[in-house]
Amino acid sequence: MSLLVFAGASQFAMVRLFSESAPSAIVIASVLFINLRHALMAASLRSQLQGLPLAGRLFAAFFLTDEAFAMATGHFRRGGRSLAYYFVFAISLFVLWNVATLAGIVLGDAIGDPRRYGIDFAITATFIGIVVLAIRHRSDAVIAIVAALVAGGLALAGASTIAVITAGALAPLIAVFARR
Amino acid sequence: MIWIAIVGSAVATYLARSLPFAITFRGRLPGSASRYLDALPVAIIAALVGPAVVAPTGALTHGAEPLAAALVIATVAWRRSLLAGVIVGVAAVALLRLV
Repeated sequence: MSLLVFAGASQFAMVRLFSESAPSAIVIASVLFINLRHALMAASLRSQLQGLPLAGRLFAAFFLTDEAFAMATGHFRRGGRSLAYYFVFAISLFVLWNVATLAGIVLGDAIGDPRRYGIDFAITATFIGIVVLAIRHRSDAVIAIVAALVAGGLALAGASTIAVITAGALAPLIAVFARR
Repeated sequence: MIWIAIVGSAVATYLARSLPFAITFRGRLPGSASRYLDALPVAIIAALVGPAVVAPTGALTHGAEPLAAALVIATVAWRRSLLAGVIVGVAAVALLRLV
């Protein structure tokens, strides 16, 4: 599954749905909703990947994850232009993800709860850092806080499948209407 | 059939990621659209953070994650270093969860 559906959040959702023996159509629809946020990310990376031929862009798309998007965005915001950064990071992540999946299958129960060591927070801390480093105007900070609060609120309200796409799509409207 | 669901999910995932890359349009974007696209990356990454901080396990946090998040923001703003922020964040959340 990890080889074909390279998408962490939706893989966890799929495992839960499989355990409830949900129908295939429900599983596929849930995954589509969860991963719609990547369409937003792709829209935002378009201009950087514009130089690639179509085949290259379609190849890049398969490896587009939250982490690859966040790291590439950080890279481009710091003035980086090289696409190698994106490909090396995204494809390494794919390999590591699948090696770790295999390790999890083999070792599984021996590892225990990773939450005890705070490791699960490393990605969140990385994303927070990327946002902090990317803020250039006051409106950037406002947009980031609004997006985080709206997504967090939706997740608390039980709408976690659409939380990121909704908050991510709505918060930038502030930039459209705000005056700099 | 689990395999149908897996292959269907793979297709759905790939379509969401690839369609914006595959479609090309000509001409310049109006100002409002380019302001929207400029603000989009920060908004998406912040939106990924929100649920992980407020509802890390699906239910309301006990407070460890928001406190650790504040420490990460302060560390990164001060040191301008991603790595320093991650180290502080992971250590803080591990300690705060013990409380």
